[in-house]
Amino acid sequence: MRLTIQMLISHGRVARKMGLGPESRINMLRNILTGLVRHERIETTRGRADEVRFYAEKLIDYAKKGDTDEKAMKMANFWLTEKDLIPKLFKVLAPRFETQPKAYTRMARIPNRENLDKAAMAVLEYKGNPFPPLQTAKRDNELTLINQLLKGYREQRAQQAAGTHWWVVL
Amino acid sequence: MACRTICQLLQRRLASSATSVRLSAAEVRGRRSAVFSREQARQRSLYPRTEKIEVTLQIPGLQGTLLVMNKGLSTPHSCARHLTEWYVTSSALALVDGKPWSLHQPLTQSCSLSLLTFKDTDPLLVNQAYWRSCAALLGQVLLDAFKEDFSVELLRLPEVLVTSGAFCCDVVLDPQLDAWNPSEESLRSLTRGAQQLIHRDLPWEPLEVAPPVALEVFSHSSDTHLRCVFIHVYGTHTHSCLTLYLSLRCGDHVLLSGGPLVARTGLCSQYEVTAIHPLGEGKWGLHRRAQGLSLPLQQQAHHTVWRKLRSRAEKLVEVPTGSTNEAISDTLTLPSAPEQTPPHTPQQ
Repeated sequence: MRLTIQMLISHGRVARKMGLGPESRINMLRNILTGLVRHERIETTRGRADEVRFYAEKLIDYAKKGDTDEKAMKMANFWLTEKDLIPKLFKVLAPRFETQPKAYTRMARIPNRENLDKAAMAVLEYKGNPFPPLQTAKRDNELTLINQLLKGYREQRAQQAAGTHWWVVL
Repeated sequence: MACRTICQLLQRRLASSATSVRLSAAEVRGRRSAVFSREQARQRSLYPRTEKIEVTLQIPGLQGTLLVMNKGLSTPHSCARHLTEWYVTSSALALVDGKPWSLHQPLTQSCSLSLLTFKDTDPLLVNQAYWRSCAALLGQVLLDAFKEDFSVELLRLPEVLVTSGAFCCDVVLDPQLDAWNPSEESLRSLTRGAQQLIHRDLPWEPLEVAPPVALEVFSHSSDTHLRCVFIHVYGTHTHSCLTLYLSLRCGDHVLLSGGPLVARTGLCSQYEVTAIHPLGEGKWGLHRRAQGLSLPLQQQAHHTVWRKLRSRAEKLVEVPTGSTNEAISDTLTLPSAPEQTPPHTPQQ
């Protein structure tokens, strides 16, 4: 190819480079994905976690096809380096996400690593894992003024809906 | 005992009604304010020498802190000022020995103090006090809103639960206004009046007075309404000392309340007068219920939420009508004489 200045500038290029090259990148992602399937919640650098998310969700989509499917088995065989996880993928993870169409993973950012590199870290997990939740939604107290007003509002709406139920013609 | 003095006062008042001179609203307010200031000065003079009291704080993080304050002069507000600015701005009500206490009422003995905010785990008392204060503000706005030719008489500020959606103020307007129904523009100008009062950040100054003094404060109003006060004073308060919550410096408005109000008008942020519903003919004329909705500084709502709550606040709020001898006492403002100060004309 032509050695242009354009090659040195990477404006707008979204594909990440990891490791020694594209093959090294796939191998690294494969290892991280295997760890994710085994432990269901792992801690890595932010860039790697973001990359793995796409492959983790695609793997679940393949696993949903069932273990009799040729392509699904080939994919699982390629991506999971530890072969005892293939039954886990098809028998535990796929049924768990049967009702969900997408968004099987959750990524949460955590403070930087303590090492010299101070890498930005993230936690990646499959939803429905047995561990305690990462972030609890902060709910304001039920008894505050605005919540009491909203409670009254909701009760009135419910009463109105119950009152007009008789008139609903299906 | 208190009843007899009140009866005597009332008879004397009614007997001399034929010869009483009608005073303008501003004069009436000025006189009331003068009586209030006199009573306040008298109560302060009960403590000629500065005596010290010990106030123990029961605030999370400052448990057991001891403050040495002046007897009869220091208020929970001054205690908060000894701490940090956050306590001054965020505290709405105080609990002195477990009893709800207004922030500007002086402390008279060594006690334990805790400051309540809107974000506590149990803000029920604060919510009720805030609702009462907003109703008092609405009453004040209505008194100021009409021209001098039209009389406005506030009947009562009923105690409403927060979940009902709006605070209320029962009014009786001049008979000439019987056919008047407020348009959206007039409601908006009332809201603007309330916002101006809020912007001035005026404190509500409380004062505990005995019933005869209370009747003296309101002695310049017309007879029918004095009867209303009499029923309220005699019927609802069984103890001899009546708490009088007064609002000075907002056009010298004075009002009678059954419970503590929050510290100052600046604590409200979103405030709107939502509706004025006619209730039908009553003892004093056509009764109307003015309703409003408000939220404090620390609990502001997004405009979508506010719109939904407001549409609910426009509907009439049913107040459980009990006898005047109920334990839950209503906040009452007495009317001034028919002539009112000129309205604030909205600059359009």
